[in-house]
Amino acid sequence: MQDRIDILMMLAPGLPLLGAILTAVLGPKLLRSQSHWPVIVGTIGALICSLLLLLHVADAQQAADLESPAGAAPYEHVVKLWTWMDIQNAYELGGTSHNFTIDIVLRLDALTAIMLCMVTLISSLVAIYSAGYMHGDRGYWRFFSYIGLFVFSMTMLVSASNFILLFVFWEAVGLCSYLLIGYWYEKPIAAAAGKKAFLVTRIGDFGFMLGLFLIWTTYGSLNYHDVYSDGAFSASTAAADATIAAQGVLSPSRIVENNYVLGGTALAICLLLMLGACGKSAQFPLHVWLPDAMEGPSPVSALIHAATMVTAGVYMVARCTPLYMASPTAQLVVAAIGAFTALLAGLIALTQFDLKRILAYSTISQLGYMFLGLGAGTLAGISAGMFHLFTHAFFKALLFLSAGSVMHAMGNVIDIRRFGGLRKLLPITYATFLVGCLALSGLPPFSGFWSKDAAIASIHDRVHALEHELEHRQAANQDEAHVPGSAAAALPAPLAALSVAQLSTYANVYQWLYYSAMFTAFLTAFYTFRAFLMTFHGELRVPHEAGDHAHEAPPSMYVPLVILAIFAAFAGLVLALSHSFDNFLLHAPSLALGWVTLTELPGKFHASVAAISILLALAGTIAACYLYLYERDQVSFLKRFFNFEWLNQVTEGAFVRLLKNWGPVAAIHNGAKRIGLGWLTALVGDIFLLLVLILSIPLLIGSYLSPYRLSFRKFYFDEIYNLLIVRPLRGIAQLFYWLDRNAVDGLVNACGYIPTRFGNLMRSLQMGLMPFYALAMVLGMIVLLAARMLWAN
Amino acid sequence: MFANSETLIRLMPEIILVALATWIFIGGTFWANRAFWSTLAMLTYLVAAIALYRHGNAPLVMSVVTIDYLGYTLRWLALLSGAVLTLMASYHLRDQLASEALGLIMLAATGTMLVACAGDLVLMFLGLELISIPTYVLLYVARPGREAAEATAKYFFLSILSSALLLYGFSFLYGLAGTTTLVGEGGVLGIQQQLVGATGGSATGLAALAPLAIVLIFAGLGFKIAAVPFHFYAPDVYQGTTNTNAGLLAVLPKIAGLVALVRIAVIAMPAIAAYAWHLSLIIAVLTMTIGNVCALWQTNLRRMLGYSSIAHAGYMLIGLTVALGANAFGSGEVNPGYGGVGALVFYLVVYVFATLGAFAVLAQLSTPEQDVATLDEVAGLNKIHPTSAALMAVFMFSLAGVPPLAGFWGKLTLFMSAVGVVTYSTNAAITPWFVVLVVAGALNAAIAAAYYLRVVSAMYFRPVTNAAPQVPSPGGIGAALICAVVVIVIGISPRALMTAARAADEAARTAPSLPVNVATDVSPASAAMAQR
Repeated sequence: MQDRIDILMMLAPGLPLLGAILTAVLGPKLLRSQSHWPVIVGTIGALICSLLLLLHVADAQQAADLESPAGAAPYEHVVKLWTWMDIQNAYELGGTSHNFTIDIVLRLDALTAIMLCMVTLISSLVAIYSAGYMHGDRGYWRFFSYIGLFVFSMTMLVSASNFILLFVFWEAVGLCSYLLIGYWYEKPIAAAAGKKAFLVTRIGDFGFMLGLFLIWTTYGSLNYHDVYSDGAFSASTAAADATIAAQGVLSPSRIVENNYVLGGTALAICLLLMLGACGKSAQFPLHVWLPDAMEGPSPVSALIHAATMVTAGVYMVARCTPLYMASPTAQLVVAAIGAFTALLAGLIALTQFDLKRILAYSTISQLGYMFLGLGAGTLAGISAGMFHLFTHAFFKALLFLSAGSVMHAMGNVIDIRRFGGLRKLLPITYATFLVGCLALSGLPPFSGFWSKDAAIASIHDRVHALEHELEHRQAANQDEAHVPGSAAAALPAPLAALSVAQLSTYANVYQWLYYSAMFTAFLTAFYTFRAFLMTFHGELRVPHEAGDHAHEAPPSMYVPLVILAIFAAFAGLVLALSHSFDNFLLHAPSLALGWVTLTELPGKFHASVAAISILLALAGTIAACYLYLYERDQVSFLKRFFNFEWLNQVTEGAFVRLLKNWGPVAAIHNGAKRIGLGWLTALVGDIFLLLVLILSIPLLIGSYLSPYRLSFRKFYFDEIYNLLIVRPLRGIAQLFYWLDRNAVDGLVNACGYIPTRFGNLMRSLQMGLMPFYALAMVLGMIVLLAARMLWAN
Repeated sequence: MFANSETLIRLMPEIILVALATWIFIGGTFWANRAFWSTLAMLTYLVAAIALYRHGNAPLVMSVVTIDYLGYTLRWLALLSGAVLTLMASYHLRDQLASEALGLIMLAATGTMLVACAGDLVLMFLGLELISIPTYVLLYVARPGREAAEATAKYFFLSILSSALLLYGFSFLYGLAGTTTLVGEGGVLGIQQQLVGATGGSATGLAALAPLAIVLIFAGLGFKIAAVPFHFYAPDVYQGTTNTNAGLLAVLPKIAGLVALVRIAVIAMPAIAAYAWHLSLIIAVLTMTIGNVCALWQTNLRRMLGYSSIAHAGYMLIGLTVALGANAFGSGEVNPGYGGVGALVFYLVVYVFATLGAFAVLAQLSTPEQDVATLDEVAGLNKIHPTSAALMAVFMFSLAGVPPLAGFWGKLTLFMSAVGVVTYSTNAAITPWFVVLVVAGALNAAIAAAYYLRVVSAMYFRPVTNAAPQVPSPGGIGAALICAVVVIVIGISPRALMTAARAADEAARTAPSLPVNVATDVSPASAAMAQR
């Protein structure tokens, strides 16, 4: 039984890898246009393995629950394939020396099982879709071998049981992302986008690496799991007399003791890991790469840049929950980054015209919601974040694949101004896109509603919990935490250690994050339906690139769409109402033990929060319908208004003339002229004009920074980064290049010059005269002899 | 004593070679057939190799012939060089002169083998002349014309001068020790023992002449190995003769000269090593530097390889210097792995095959009518003869010391042996000198890469300028292939050769210990008398 599980755990990443290798080897010569088969078969095989593993985990968790009736019992299973590196006594910490041992270890727990199923399901559907979408592409086999490699890396990333392995596959998915964004590398813009994605995420990876170093020096281990002295990985399989040889960072034994450092170190670890997550999951300030990444093929956008890879950061933060529980400040930062990113991306998405970029910004925004949930720091919030990750994967993959279907029909045109009214032309895509939009907008009963609402509600609860604690302390007139045994519910120790002032600040910030998240919900519904209506409603307009044969996609493309639509529509409803997702997830060791169990449990349904968010989403939808269902003048009015175009009028000459000729002003001026004081009123008028001009300078700047422009130009992030980071770096690089060409090369050339000069001198002795040679020999000998004799004495 | 039957058996390979060479000379006058005599010559080398394999490797120190690992390894090297040279030469010889050339090469190889196992000054000098005299004739007969005549004349006169200097040195040695035997055996005193007895700690009287002798010997043998300032002939002569002869000149005298230096300076004269290592070190640094910097300017490949062979002689003198320094200061005891003589032998093997290979490639591209030697003539070789270009590149990389080819390990062992002296020596006076030596060696290796790689870049990156199509000769390409295989195999797995080199090093170090009380018992001269 256990062996079967081990083999399944290896097959889940192994089959896609095998598929990728087969495609890479056989693709170019043998398989050609059939290159998708190994990868499709491999990912579907991986999906089957993942589902079997999921069932196994569910069974095992049930069995464990029966044994321990109190709360959710953690379940984890670790398999070691081989030892990668082993350095004895690498680091001394607190008097004991730690071995730097990195095993290739796979793990299985609730978190991993959910991620595995989600990743392999989406990958299988995307692989099938791609067989239709990429049909006839020049690098067909190349595409599928990259996809296979990506699925392997992603499944390994979620299966890894130590941080080094996590980091290795973290980089591997980054590499696959780079390769696939730049898949059409002949297009300079695609190549540049790939490079940008790679470099920006590298900044995050740098933080991630520092975080790992800090974990190593703090805990002396990089494993999640314990290693017992007899080599086993858990207490159940270890011998009775075996002791823990190396305690893992996220192992049940450590979590249950809450054996974590607090304070500045905890905060530093968490923030560095969060920096890594920001890079990978495109959160502010490292979100700039994701919209550009849409230059890759649409299936890639759906698979990597919406459903799976970008959620790696969320997965990692959820996995490291015990570390984050040690630092409430870090949790607040995570929540704040999430909420701010969600708002920022929502604002940018309002004015974009590139269908895939709108979806990319919505992805950034939804990832923000996930981090918001994780940042709530409660079981409810974390499970909401993971739940949103799960449902988002379906509806966002659905939206991207539907957008791909639109692109497919429109001859790769993606600007929503250039087509419209496609609902007749692409009925299936229309329906699936609509389902995706409803889910994204957070309208019940579609899946997005349940998960997003849970995330917002968890923040609401968090505010309540903090305020409740504050009231208690004020009532007891205490600045410190409750004394044990007092009436209020126990708080996690790091949170309880906060002072009243800190607690009230936290409560305020969380309150604002809650408002911001609510506002973002409105924005989400608005921009989603704006894009949807501009694409599918109104007059039928087809760009000339599409030719006259614009048609619905082939079955290989629309069947995955329909399957995804079913999931997007109902997955949230079923899982949320049955609470099976939460119940399952909370058995993961990171979530089942320790401080986190003291926090709010998921499962409460907040009618008030739900009502507000539904109302806001409906408002957004209706506003979008009003403005975009038929061509309305109000659209351009709003655009002008938010572009501050009325400000420009103030500074124009016509406005001045208008003012001059305005009745009362003209009357006074004329009256003054008559009594010979015309110069005075003219002077007053000029001074007034001058004042207006001076006053209008901020207005001019304001018009440049009008809300519309800010949104349309993406808040100038690219420009600012270009100015502050890219330009200075390029300048330094040019300086070094100059130094290298002139100083270093000059030195090297001098080194080459001296021997040749010396050689030339020596060469001139070689005059070809034999008597000279003989003389040189004899003279040389005499010199040596003389030197020898002098030396000897 | 000389005609001891065991000695004759040990010298069986040399005897076979001389006998067959004589036969080839005589037979050639009756039946001028290049193919037949070439085949016979190759067979002779084969038979000699079998004889060497069967009888050559029994440790035996006779008064005249020394059979040890040093001699054994280098006899193999000389024999193989002779065979490779025969392969190179065979296809371009005229029928009339074929047997002469083949026999002469065979004699020169035999001479080298004799020097390698000579334990007596007379036999050593005989061996050296057995290399020189056939070489004069070879240089003359191989190629008609003024250039060859000039080269021959230069080599002839300068070689005679060097022989005279060498003999002069030998005579001093004889005068000092009263014997021509290098190392005595079983109570018989050789030069080694006599010198220790004579110097006995203070360099007075006759013993003060020992440094004079060593300088003269260095001068005489320095010509053979083309060390500065006795190197002037090399570029001129290499350029003026054929590729095969240049290969012979670059290889056989060098083996003989170096083994003679090891036998005399390291084994026979440890008593004055304190005088000799300075000399060797200065000559080494000068030789490698001047050889390399002059090679930078050459466009004629034979001339370039001439300078390169000078530079490599300098490298090999590092090994000699280390061995002498170890003798003088006893550092070799602590650092047994990287003895100077071992490094020298290793490098010598590596150098011989890479150089012979390079000349073989040139030889097989040349015809009697058209001589391929300049950089322009091999430009774009990759497009005409990819195999030749690849082989040449292998040899150039090996000579430059690029891993994973044999040359890399050669340089590594040499430099390591010198670094070993620096690391393990307890004598503060010796350390800076060897630091200079190592630094000079490393700098020179860097300089040398420039001209070797220029050949490679010309072959691969320049357009073809030599329009005449060449037909590579199978013999030449065979010789080059053999050399390439050796260079690559040693590069990948240097262990076997390393073991042999280490054994040679042991042999040089564990020469018979000195008999006690020699100095007090008998005076050198009377001891020599008594011995007879």
